[in-house]
Amino acid sequence: MAASMYRLVYYSRNHIAHDQALFASNIQKILEKSRINNQRDEITGALLFNAGCFAQVLEGPLDKVEAAFERIQQDERHGDVSLLALDPISRRSFPNWAMGFIGTSDIQAKRFAGIGASTGFDPSRLSGDEIHALLRDLAIEEEAA
Amino acid sequence: MNVATSFPHITEAHSAGIPSAEQILESLPRSVLVVGSEGVVTYANRASMVSLAAVVGSEMRDLFPGCVLSLATMTGAPSCLLISRDGEKFDAGIAVLGAGQFLIDLRPSLDARTADMQGDLDELTGLTKRNGLLKHLSSALCSGPASSIAVHCLDLDRFKMINDTLGHAVGDLLLKKVADRLTAACHKDDIVARLGGDEFVVLQRNVEEGTAETLASRIVDLIGRTYVIHGHTINIGASVGVAIGANALQDCDLLRNGDLALYEAKKAGRGRYRMFESGMDALLFARREMEIDLRRALALKQFKLNYQPFINVTTNRVDGFEALLRWEHPVKGNIPPLSFISLAEENGLIVKIGEWVMRTACIEAMSWPGEMIVAVNVSPLQFKADTLLDTVATALKRSGLPAHRLEIEITEGALLDDTDNVIQTLNSLRALGVKISMDDFGTGYSSLSYLQKFPFNKIKIDRSFVAGDDADSEAILRSIASLGTSLGMAITAEGVETAEQLARIRGERCTHVQGYFTGRPMGTDQIPVFLARNDLDERI
Ligand SMILES: Cc1cc2nc3c(=O)[nH]c(=O)nc-3n(C[C@H](O)[C@H](O)[C@H](O)COP(=O)(O)O)c2cc1C
Repeated sequence: MAASMYRLVYYSRNHIAHDQALFASNIQKILEKSRINNQRDEITGALLFNAGCFAQVLEGPLDKVEAAFERIQQDERHGDVSLLALDPISRRSFPNWAMGFIGTSDIQAKRFAGIGASTGFDPSRLSGDEIHALLRDLAIEEEAA
Repeated sequence: MNVATSFPHITEAHSAGIPSAEQILESLPRSVLVVGSEGVVTYANRASMVSLAAVVGSEMRDLFPGCVLSLATMTGAPSCLLISRDGEKFDAGIAVLGAGQFLIDLRPSLDARTADMQGDLDELTGLTKRNGLLKHLSSALCSGPASSIAVHCLDLDRFKMINDTLGHAVGDLLLKKVADRLTAACHKDDIVARLGGDEFVVLQRNVEEGTAETLASRIVDLIGRTYVIHGHTINIGASVGVAIGANALQDCDLLRNGDLALYEAKKAGRGRYRMFESGMDALLFARREMEIDLRRALALKQFKLNYQPFINVTTNRVDGFEALLRWEHPVKGNIPPLSFISLAEENGLIVKIGEWVMRTACIEAMSWPGEMIVAVNVSPLQFKADTLLDTVATALKRSGLPAHRLEIEITEGALLDDTDNVIQTLNSLRALGVKISMDDFGTGYSSLSYLQKFPFNKIKIDRSFVAGDDADSEAILRSIASLGTSLGMAITAEGVETAEQLARIRGERCTHVQGYFTGRPMGTDQIPVFLARNDLDERI
């Protein structure tokens, strides 16, 4: 049997300058790196960006998730990292995503509107479960789209 | 040459064939110097004359320009790096010869870094250890004032607790991650060292305006971020003290200054950094002096208790007195508790002082007329010491004071850690018949849940709510009072200083008042007179 599977959910504040091009290229780099590392480490999950925040779900073997989280913690591109959940799971919610990025398509815009605040999505107001559910639903819609 | 005079007794004693110690020194292929504490050479062997052009009377600072460490400091290090006028590097071993003389043995230097590679690393974290750090430090200081360096001394907050609760295996992994994060925060040229336990030092090179502050705050931020280890979420913090070696010509001990700054950072509330300032040593010195005095104060009977009355506003009578500690210092006069209690808590003296207060208050209360209550403050640390119950029981027995005349005042701080044990102690105290009140309510964590956890006899509302005549203070005062009364607790408003405040308090369901207006603190011998006076009735 594989090592026990865990899900980790956190949100953080974006520290990348508010420059569109700079931000896009940084996100690109983060995603590229994540996909390579995560594939190697059997980690799947999703990353969301909005309103100056990141929210991310990482799922995979505990030691690998811990190691990835430690690297992410040291990353200067964000700060105020709040760990929202760390729980054992029996099944992955994002089996097909080495690291999905959600934050550009129209679906999210609607979804965020649904959540309420006009300034957009503020992960700091959501629990780990809520973020997880949100990302999972978004991922399903994204895949269907 | 006039070197033999330095070693007058050695030569003759040896039989022919065995060279004298002096001959050996003179033929030694490497340089040896003897230097007085002022840095003046009093002996130079032949090799040192050749390679350093050293003679008796040469000055260290001319032979090794840029070296700013004093000899006394250098003797603490196993060896330190010295660079000659020609740029030649030496690993200098320094020994004290006595009478203010130092022996300096100058070995041609291996690169400091290679010395590190040869096993002088911390096993757990792979970081440099103390010896390595001292080497790097002296070499950095000797490389001259062109580039200044900073020393960051750091201490992990709450590490011990993690180690105790989650075990050493997790504690070790945590230290590794801390080491990783420190290394990540630093520049390649910087040195990260672990001095043992949870003590780390970063030697930052090429410091420019503001860069030491930036690194320190980065360290505080990075180390304070959540760790995940074996499925545990762990939060610790870092306190950092920073000393900059900008003034490279001064003989300053950077590590010591960094430690002083660290001490200030911890005192200021941890999870922060502090830059060394020149006043800090004076501050620490004053504190040390105060600590010495404090240790003697009990034995020299410099403590005294004063008593401030609290008045029951429903009966308009004095119900009792709160014992207030005074320290009458023979030279400095009266030292207020605010200036020494935190020190006493820091060094544990508070337990002994607390015992004295408890004993004395019980004895003195026995001489008061009627059934007056004596209220005694108890520090959170006395709960931790585990002797509180014993102290109280003994004080009651020895003095003969009935338990219902003793009221113990605790602060919210006492309930913060280890709440279950504290509540158990409180229950045992209550079983003795002692009353328990919650002091300074509203200032700390103000958790109403504490009021549920234990049925306090009384809540004392902090003076700030009485003094504040704004709507907020009043609303808070009123709601604490009504919550307390609904839980069956008495309510004391503290710090009542004017008739107007007293009138206001009466309207707010408070049952008791205490403050300058209804009675200043007094010595035990003044209590009978105070109680016999009836002008109190006129005022309240
Ligand atoms: C918001 C955010 C999310 C990230 N997510 C991941 C991730 O899922 N996996 C990953 O390996 N790195 C992730 N990174 C990048 C890491 O912080 C780090 O740069 C990277 O893991 C370093 O990989 P390397 O050691 O292989 O160079 C993320 C960074 C940020 C700012």
